[in-house]
Amino acid sequence: MDLQPFETVVTAHHAEIYRYLLRVTSRSGDADDLSQETFLRAYRAWGGLDDGANVRAWLFTIATNLARNYFRSESRRRRAYAGVGEIRTDVDPASPEEARRFRETRALVERVVDGLPLKQRLAFVLRKLHDLEYDAIGKSLECSPESARAHVFQALKKIRLGLNGHELPMMESVR
Amino acid sequence: MTTKHPSCRAIELDLVATATGDAESRAAERVHRHLDTCAECRDEFGRYRAVDSVARGLRSTPPADALAKSRAGLESRLADLKQRRVAYRIFPSPLGHILVGRSEHGIAVVEYLHGGSSLRASRLARVEGIEPVPGGPELERLQRDLLEFIGGRRRDLDWTLDWRLARSDFERAVLEATAAIPYGAVASYAGVARRIGKPSAVRAVAQALRWNPLPIVVPCHRVIGTSGRLTGYAGDKLGLKQQLLSVEGVKLHTARRDASVAREAMYALGEGETEYCLPTCGSIGTRSLALLTLFASRADAEARGYAPCTNCRPDLHPL
Repeated sequence: MDLQPFETVVTAHHAEIYRYLLRVTSRSGDADDLSQETFLRAYRAWGGLDDGANVRAWLFTIATNLARNYFRSESRRRRAYAGVGEIRTDVDPASPEEARRFRETRALVERVVDGLPLKQRLAFVLRKLHDLEYDAIGKSLECSPESARAHVFQALKKIRLGLNGHELPMMESVR
Repeated sequence: MTTKHPSCRAIELDLVATATGDAESRAAERVHRHLDTCAECRDEFGRYRAVDSVARGLRSTPPADALAKSRAGLESRLADLKQRRVAYRIFPSPLGHILVGRSEHGIAVVEYLHGGSSLRASRLARVEGIEPVPGGPELERLQRDLLEFIGGRRRDLDWTLDWRLARSDFERAVLEATAAIPYGAVASYAGVARRIGKPSAVRAVAQALRWNPLPIVVPCHRVIGTSGRLTGYAGDKLGLKQQLLSVEGVKLHTARRDASVAREAMYALGEGETEYCLPTCGSIGTRSLALLTLFASRADAEARGYAPCTNCRPDLHPL
């Protein structure tokens, strides 16, 4: 095990692991600690990793475990979504009116996401914000891919209910 | 919502999956067929589309400075970990399970895992400043070398060593003097003490070798008592010492609870001399083992550049 190949892992994945943990913890200091810890753990286990293992999914599993431990501390569990202000989203709708509506809806969605049970929240973030496959999400959350899918479904349903009565941004037609 | 038609309820999961881009094609077809006939679900579908779109809008780019700071912190901690890291490998051998560990500077540890086959059985897990990590295939060569050595198919372990587990300069001097004892030869604790310039520190030498972090490669099995008795090895594993010496061709007298080197069956080299002798040459038979190195064979002595004695002529009258 040389550091060289592991360096390429850091280069390839540090930013998105940091982004994931920032989204989940809402605090840059905690995202900092947990993302570093993710890669230190990965480095320790690097030599024992099978050839052909999905390194990205493996890193998300480590990060998710750390995040779950982090939230085991009861005081952190219900903390408000404080870090929203320091996050810039990549989506930029065209008209100012549409942009305002989008921002409002996003804030609403973030509140609902923040209030989700932890497993639903993590499954939702892994699937919708990081495009992980359900079997990888299942591994991260120590459940089956079907359960991972059900967590995401429940999350979407709650978000949908949370938006009841709210005017949604325009979407293209159904088909 | 609670008064949904059964067919709408039945399709709900697929509807959400389809609207959020997560459905298989057959499920999506089913959903679209249903939507053609159900205005309520069409509306619902549109809302889920919007939810999905907004959810994906939560994708964000962390501030570049925070990201860079985190990355720099990580690099620094990784460098520190790399410095402390010892990659280890555990494998079975005829002498029991052995752990071998390598740092970035060289081989730092060889350890007999008495009664265990995992890191838990190793001292390594408890050494301060060491971070044991499971090694990869690059440690296979070390395993192969060691097994060949133990099996008598290899004489040299040409490994770069990392002395970090030597606990003092004294210990390191003892280990380095021991590492210089050739294959197929034995010297005494007193002899090692003399070689490091501390002739009275015989017990301290024995203690230092008792904690040898690199057995086999630093061949403390080649160090014996001045009486010729093997005295001790790796705690109470005298049998391992016998095995290693036998592999190297060293002749032994074995008793029930102890063993000793068969001095009369080995060639002898006096301290500071360049010629090796038969055990019967002059006074060498009565000289203290503190002053001698014994060789199992002429080849072992000559491999180190020693010449046969011109008086007793071991070359003409080999043992």
